[in-house]
Amino acid sequence: MRPTEQVLTAAISRLREHAYGVTIHAKAEELVDPRPLSFGSVYYALERLEEQGLISSRLADPGLERGGRRKRYYRLEALAERAPVSVHDLLHEATEELRKEAGRWSPNRPKPHPVRPK
Amino acid sequence: MEPEPPKAASGPPKVVEFLLGVLLPPASRESVLGDLHECYTSPAQYLRDAISTVPWVIASRIVRTTDPRLLLLEAFALYLAFVTSARFANGPKFLELWNAYIRLAIPVLAALFAIVVVDAYTSAEKRLFYVPAAIFGALWLQFVSTGTSSDWGLPSQSRLYGSVLGVLLVAALRALFLPGDHRTTGAG
Repeated sequence: MRPTEQVLTAAISRLREHAYGVTIHAKAEELVDPRPLSFGSVYYALERLEEQGLISSRLADPGLERGGRRKRYYRLEALAERAPVSVHDLLHEATEELRKEAGRWSPNRPKPHPVRPK
Repeated sequence: MEPEPPKAASGPPKVVEFLLGVLLPPASRESVLGDLHECYTSPAQYLRDAISTVPWVIASRIVRTTDPRLLLLEAFALYLAFVTSARFANGPKFLELWNAYIRLAIPVLAALFAIVVVDAYTSAEKRLFYVPAAIFGALWLQFVSTGTSSDWGLPSQSRLYGSVLGVLLVAALRALFLPGDHRTTGAG
């Protein structure tokens, strides 16, 4: 996943049922602050994520606001929920793995009996 | 003194909205126009947002609807159609010209451009009918613009046979490997 896509999955995950273009853009900008994020790059990344099956979208019922135009709501799919949403999460996962690995080789752990050749 | 009548709700300029509606692919049109409308504060800001958004939306739609392998196959089929037509309709002399193969590639590029645009702007079920029409349109537009007397035009027989054969080959490839569209709401 590209950095923008990671940020967007994090934004959608936080917004839950309120995730549509404007709110996703605002939340993503908040996450990457102070770096600016254009609307266009958000749509591009959303389309890519949808193509990969990481998110899905649906059009809501039309309302009076927004000139009567419908919102497209996005939600994370199971695959994206499992994916690491940021470099921090990735590092955290890697650290946990290393910790588990280190625990396996701790001095308190009983040593396995060597197999004596017959 | 009479109270001032309430101001009409301000919104984006209708002309700009209409133009954006024409430019945006139908699958994204409504939601993108709505989002831009929601963020509207002034005409200048709206125009700035629109300019920075529309190319990305079109590009993302093209990336999504274009199958590079199929496009490559179509390019090959179209080029083969024009080379074969030129060879049999105008004889080997034409192919000996220094720019013959480049001249044959120009209509292919025009047709590929039409294919990519039609794929991005129409729904999957309509593409089978729109793509051949768009290829014909693009080819004939290109032929009209270059003309027969031009150094870069094609002889009329090569044009006719090449376009018919090319469209048939592309239609056959489309019928075999029609690109899918996973979006729940189709274009249009």
